[in-house]
Amino acid sequence: MACTNKKSLLRVVYGDYTLGIHGQDVHYIFSYATGGLESLVKGGMEWLYRTPKPTFWRALTDNDRGSKFHISSGRWLAADMFIQCKEISVCVDGKELGYPCAPVNNVYSDNEYADEVSITFTYETIVPPINTVEVTYTVQEAGELLVSVHYHGVNGLPQLPVFGLRLIMPTKADKYRYAGLSGETYPDRMAGGVKGIWEEDSIAPTPYIVPQDCGMHMDTRWVEIYRHRSLDNSRKMRDTQMLKVSAADNDFAFSCLPYTASELENATHQEELPPERRTVLCIYGAVRGVGGIDSWGSDVESEYQIDATKDIQFSFRIS
Amino acid sequence: MNADIKWLDNPEVFRVNQLEAHSDHTYYENYQELEAGTTGLLQSLNGIWWFCYSKNSMERPADFYKTGYDLKAFDDIMVPMHIELAGYDKIHYINTMYPWEGHMYRRPAYSLPNAGDGKGMFSEADYNPVGSYIKEFDLDESLCGKRVTICFEGVEQAMYVWLNGSFIGYAEDSFTVSEFDLTPYIKEKGNVLAVEVHKRSTAAFLEDQDFFRFFGIFRNVTLKAKPEAHVEDLWLKPVLNENNVSGSLSADIKVSAVKGTRVLASIKLFDRNKELLLLCPIALNATEPAGEYQTYKGHLPEQLLKRVSVWDNNNPNLYEVYVELNDGCGNLLEVVPYKVGFRRLEIINKVMMLNGKRLVITGVNRHEWSARSGRCITEAEMRSDMECIKKNNINAVRTCHYPNQIPWYYMCDEEGIYLMSETNLESHGSFQKLGAIEPSWNVPGSLPQWREAVLDRARSNFEAFKNHTSVLFWSLGNESYAGDDIEAMNVYFKNKKDGRLVHYEGSYYNRAYEDTISDVESRMYATPADVEDYLQNSAKKPYMLCEFMHDMGNSMGGLGSYMKLIDKYEMYQGGFIWDFIDQALWDYDEITERSVLRYGGDFDDRPADYEFSANGILFADRREKPAMQEVRYYYGLYK
Repeated sequence: MACTNKKSLLRVVYGDYTLGIHGQDVHYIFSYATGGLESLVKGGMEWLYRTPKPTFWRALTDNDRGSKFHISSGRWLAADMFIQCKEISVCVDGKELGYPCAPVNNVYSDNEYADEVSITFTYETIVPPINTVEVTYTVQEAGELLVSVHYHGVNGLPQLPVFGLRLIMPTKADKYRYAGLSGETYPDRMAGGVKGIWEEDSIAPTPYIVPQDCGMHMDTRWVEIYRHRSLDNSRKMRDTQMLKVSAADNDFAFSCLPYTASELENATHQEELPPERRTVLCIYGAVRGVGGIDSWGSDVESEYQIDATKDIQFSFRIS
Repeated sequence: MNADIKWLDNPEVFRVNQLEAHSDHTYYENYQELEAGTTGLLQSLNGIWWFCYSKNSMERPADFYKTGYDLKAFDDIMVPMHIELAGYDKIHYINTMYPWEGHMYRRPAYSLPNAGDGKGMFSEADYNPVGSYIKEFDLDESLCGKRVTICFEGVEQAMYVWLNGSFIGYAEDSFTVSEFDLTPYIKEKGNVLAVEVHKRSTAAFLEDQDFFRFFGIFRNVTLKAKPEAHVEDLWLKPVLNENNVSGSLSADIKVSAVKGTRVLASIKLFDRNKELLLLCPIALNATEPAGEYQTYKGHLPEQLLKRVSVWDNNNPNLYEVYVELNDGCGNLLEVVPYKVGFRRLEIINKVMMLNGKRLVITGVNRHEWSARSGRCITEAEMRSDMECIKKNNINAVRTCHYPNQIPWYYMCDEEGIYLMSETNLESHGSFQKLGAIEPSWNVPGSLPQWREAVLDRARSNFEAFKNHTSVLFWSLGNESYAGDDIEAMNVYFKNKKDGRLVHYEGSYYNRAYEDTISDVESRMYATPADVEDYLQNSAKKPYMLCEFMHDMGNSMGGLGSYMKLIDKYEMYQGGFIWDFIDQALWDYDEITERSVLRYGGDFDDRPADYEFSANGILFADRREKPAMQEVRYYYGLYK
């Protein structure tokens, strides 16, 4: 059938619930059920805890609270917590296959190969005005993954806290290295950041007295996450594995923390945060500034706000 | 004289029997002690004291100061320490509201036609805790036979003192030195010092700073013996001439001596290489008829210095002054060392100039804070703060909102840090309510009954710190609105003609006082656009932000927008970031079994302002927040 060129390096598994793709030392499972990339195994280690989803919320900063940003933009919390995957489409070696679920997939065998496979998940927010986000994963010949994210703006939407893709890893990372700016930076607080290659030996959140959004790194070329723990009971070797996220074109922003925005949001003290057991890596296409004029009303300066009525597009590679 | 509990209620009584405020100089009997930095003239009373906590004045052991009083009901407490942190009274953080909000209805005496004279407001309140302290001590041998004073460097908020059963005096103003003469009452052995500290008095209306509300003896207590002849006050006036090359020094001193002691005074000035630049006698003139002690005034007329190195942030050049008292037969009675710098602050064409160059303030507001011990901080913590300030290109500190511990001013002289020395005054809750300006019962306002109290606070600030080269600004206080009383404070400082500028932000709220309460246009939290608006519309004065960049939590975004204004407008001269360190307290969390940082509201304290206690560029444990690299970068551009 289609795409059985033996020279192709990607072996494709047209499952009933999933689309599996084997590359060199890497295996992806895209799930029709959970609506996204369910599994990413590299170096014999699972890198995903749950399917990555678009992220729209950041745990309120004190300045956000002061300016009542949550009152005007609170709808994004719901969007961040609950989102619906409305559409899935698969493209193999340039051929649109639509949604190859059962029984359409009965035409395939256990011997399917391709040069390039891409799958697009279209997500829809739950609070009107409803808008959509497309996340396209393209597995390329070498097994590398290109992730392209497209947010579609709609009139009437309030400012966004952030926009990005949230990847949750099953265990806590040991450290991360990145090429970008020193320290924690935000669009309106990055002049003091020094360009270089930096290593953080802890993913703990910045200990602001009230837990809030933190750990942002602007203008990043690449970031490597190092883990030695996994949940796989049969994995006897506890060797350290690395996953690298690189800019596909423009530099990206990221944060690598043990918590989601809502976990941070729920705590009023550091000690109320749950034990650090996972790694939450968010890759951002848009970041709101933190502001600083005051903490009781002034908004972030206008050039550092995120206009939700306009489209946002970004892409990155995972290898 | 006997102590009167009603003084707590009376705004016109704020110091009784206190010695006059004077310069913060140290003194030695000879050069050996001076060089060793130790003196037998001081005896610290810090340590464990007897202590009794009472919920209010009615329940206090009123007779505890009497000789032979049975202390069996007393516990003990460490001095210095906040009483709340010793576990006796609830820890409470509140910002602008008065701390009794929702608990008591209070209006300051005389503030409204029906406000009355305040009688009983504090002395008869159900909740106004009292700390009764007893310290038993023998006088160190080296102090025996000499005149002895007792010096309280900080007691919050009103204090009565007795020694050996005799009433010594009364003091308010929590953050300045209160000193009393003990000579008539002190014994070599078996002294019993009694100190009764009240959590609140009329001073509470003037000390509504945005911080944890504590009471107790929270700074050093020291006995000070005076040599036969003693420099009571010293005012050194170094001048840098317009050429920035030559200068001059003049001085005024006040001396007291045991009756019949012959005393001559002289002054020496050395540069950093120990080169003697000046050696002059100072003629002493007896000022009052001799009682037990004779007092003298001496004046050193202006002495020209052909070549001096200027003092500034980059080169804090200091010169050493020694004032000597001797008996005329070659015997030294006392020597007072002091370091001074030569600098010149002026406003030229509405721009503040330091040593002929435009002054750019890259400053920070600094509360004294330790997560371990509140506002009772150690010299090591001060040194750590100074190191951090230097490392991050901060050149100025506002001592928000009260005079700091004395060593801080010496450190700032040495390190070239420009100080805004703020008077202990804030009456925020009396003019701003739920965010709105509503000064119907503002104190001190223009109320004559409150004027002397605030003037005294200005005087205590000036007299203690007048010799510190680092002090460029006297600040009248913080957020107390504007009226005739604050105007009188300005007049007090201006009359000193000491080459410093007076700062106060309150004229923004009451333009009637624009020309009479501040040399600079000072604002807090104005947006960059607000700043430009002032500067583009017939600006009258140089402009500074006494508070800006509210660094609460994850903040400090947009600092660049303010820094740009420094380049764009000569008259915009920078500001002071709010603020230096998060105010939070270490506590033990039973759930996680960890030491954790607690903030406002975490002690069941209500009403509270919660995490508004924490706005630092440092976390409460003195680690730098991530935003510090931004501060270091932008501030470094103006170094």
